[in-house]
Amino acid sequence: MNRTRLLYHLVRADFLERVRRYNFLVTLAFAVYLGYCCVTGKVVIRLDQYRGVYNSAWVGCLMALVATMFLSLIGFYIVKNTIQRDQETRVGQILATTPITKSFYTVAKMISNFAVLAAMVAVMAIAAVIMQWLKAEDPHLHLWQLLSPFLIFALPAVAFTAGLAVLFENIPGLRGGAGNVIYFFVWTALLAVPAATLDKGGKVSEATYFRDFSGIVSVMSQMQQDLRSIDPTYKNDAALTIGDTATSKRFLWSGLHPTPALYWSRVTCVLAAIALALLAALFFHRFDPAREWRLKKAPTQNPAASNLEGPALPAQTAGHLTPVQHTATASSLLRLVLAELKLMLKGHRWWWYAGAGIIFIASLASPFDAARGGVALAALIWPVLVWSQMGTREARFNTASLLFSAEHSIHRQLPALWIAGVVVTAATNSGLAIRLLIAGDHQGLLSWIACTLFVPSLALALGLWSGTSRFFEAVYTAWWYIGPAHHTPGLDFLGTTAQSARPETYLLLTAGLVVAAYLGRRAKLAYA
Amino acid sequence: MQLSVERVSKQYRGNLWALRDFSLELRPGVLGLLGPNGAGKTTLMSVLSTITRATSGRVLWNDIDLAQNPNAIRSVLGYLPQDFGVYPNLNAVEFLEYLAAAKGLDAPTSRKRIDELLNLVNLNDVRKRLLGGFSGGMKQRVGIAQALLNDPQLLIVDEPTAGLDPEERVRFRNLLSELSGEHVVILSTHIVSDVEATATDIALISAGTLVAHATPEELLRQVEGKVWEDVVPSSEMQAIKQRYLISGTARRSDGVHVRILAPSAPNGAQPLVPTLEDAYLYCLNAHRAGAAA
Repeated sequence: MNRTRLLYHLVRADFLERVRRYNFLVTLAFAVYLGYCCVTGKVVIRLDQYRGVYNSAWVGCLMALVATMFLSLIGFYIVKNTIQRDQETRVGQILATTPITKSFYTVAKMISNFAVLAAMVAVMAIAAVIMQWLKAEDPHLHLWQLLSPFLIFALPAVAFTAGLAVLFENIPGLRGGAGNVIYFFVWTALLAVPAATLDKGGKVSEATYFRDFSGIVSVMSQMQQDLRSIDPTYKNDAALTIGDTATSKRFLWSGLHPTPALYWSRVTCVLAAIALALLAALFFHRFDPAREWRLKKAPTQNPAASNLEGPALPAQTAGHLTPVQHTATASSLLRLVLAELKLMLKGHRWWWYAGAGIIFIASLASPFDAARGGVALAALIWPVLVWSQMGTREARFNTASLLFSAEHSIHRQLPALWIAGVVVTAATNSGLAIRLLIAGDHQGLLSWIACTLFVPSLALALGLWSGTSRFFEAVYTAWWYIGPAHHTPGLDFLGTTAQSARPETYLLLTAGLVVAAYLGRRAKLAYA
Repeated sequence: MQLSVERVSKQYRGNLWALRDFSLELRPGVLGLLGPNGAGKTTLMSVLSTITRATSGRVLWNDIDLAQNPNAIRSVLGYLPQDFGVYPNLNAVEFLEYLAAAKGLDAPTSRKRIDELLNLVNLNDVRKRLLGGFSGGMKQRVGIAQALLNDPQLLIVDEPTAGLDPEERVRFRNLLSELSGEHVVILSTHIVSDVEATATDIALISAGTLVAHATPEELLRQVEGKVWEDVVPSSEMQAIKQRYLISGTARRSDGVHVRILAPSAPNGAQPLVPTLEDAYLYCLNAHRAGAAA
């Protein structure tokens, strides 16, 4: 079989496996929702008080940039499990015995990631056509102007995201939840670095195109230039905004002025994606169980020795077993909580416990403002991988049938899990509670309680409904960054300032999430 | 102690019927559930263990309907699924403690049971080793231990000997035989020798329907006088296979010794004592022929 055909089949099989899953429909629905947000004006490109007339050029660029922005973030979490799936399904071990090289495999995975994300881009492109028709501000449909931004910007950007996903999946330390959290900051940095050029208001140099993986700066700087030539009073403000943004003025934008540098920058983006996949090959374990084991957790004994069967000793007979009285007691619930706590807290590296300890000490020893600010923020991001296991562990480790065939499992194991999550949250953030108590800050304490109940409830509900830890890791990290880290009213679940605190809202939300979690678990069981 | 399965059907998406009008009545003893791959054994196990809901029909435990009160069966159930996982960062004791708490066992009893069960499944020396380092057979033994944690009256084990070495397989068979007196045990497998060694009753299932429910002796009687051995040259094997139902072959210096299932003796064939495997093949073949007709 020639290599092109082999590549085609590798990509095709992986693509079909993913698009035939229920999750893919959900992600497509998300792409449709993004399109809807643009149609209804919830997402706009705003230049001071201006926005462009919804002609093909503007609509195409708007939709392409929205696709780029969101798919480069959400898309990463959607596709970053392709090698893990091969590992879990054991298909990887079969592939490892074929002549496929490591680099060929990682590049194929990058392309299949790209294919999945490109399908979502295609949905957005269709939405762009519908949007122009619905808005009806310009009846002339120019297909090239409408669709070329998807080709020039969105597809290379999602290719780059696909490459990053493969790289993250292969590098130890980035393949798990930590990588999911870190990617959010990588993504923010990738957008922020070229965006700083926009704020300066001057003409964007062609070199900036090469740093602008998303293409947002490349497009918006051209829009700024064109607006400046129409309205010299324009103050250089430019943003892709979410929410009901009022734009009182319109201007007619004739479209992109692509330069060779712009095209080359996009080609570079695609080449960078391939380079990332090739780099990933250096770390790829080729499904070697010895390497997989070493990369996961530090074993307590030689992994080779672990394959030894247990010693052949004379065993007891069933007749010697202690009889059991079938009584579910309150103490067994407590033991279940303790067991859930043990499950949550065991298996981390030493530095995780050290970090939690340092954060606790810092929250007691640092000035009050710091304890409520930076230290509390650290306490709220440190256990993110502990929370993200909530509600997903049974599926991940295939223990659901053992647990769910137990008596009253939904009324015992689920509350025990939730309580354990609350205990972990309270414990890791207990320094702040002590400081608030000492300071007599009752409002702050109420916010702390709301936060302590809210975070594990969010983790449990998202885990149970999504079935994957990645969803919580992505949503929570973004929420933490936008809310508590930036004191955004309504989103600040910790209540870092009196102005941004909304404890009552979060207590109510917690109640809703607990109900959602119950319904999520209930939906997975044949019987309550 | 009685488990009644009354006309249970289970339909999956795409109009795929895994079980159709399946009925069975069980009392203490070991029921060997035999059937080819995809026959519906695992689906039946899942229905009985409350993991999945039947599309129609009823399952009664001591006359209590499972759909009305699933906890009536769960409180006395020990379940070893065909495919299950463990938490790799827990050791065997911690994992069993966790499941004992989930099953509602009190602390002193569960500690005693766990010690005894680890001894029973021969894992006492590795009780403190993380499960992530266990081999497949050792994990299977942990699975057997967890199924027995709550001293179940109803024990459902799906392919329990998969991954066990011959010594452990024999030990497990003996354990099942010991339990059979006071427990309802359902042993689902396609390994006929496991059933031969332990089952007091056998249910044959094919394409989601019950083909036969009988004691091993009754099944064996069905093929008495129908099992033959013929010795043929290798070149005639293809023709023999087309004419007869074959349950085994062995190459010897004088030719291929063929075990044939047929109502009357083929030319020159000698009668043989039937085995359960012969009975299994004969019944399934007869059922398929009947269904095709």
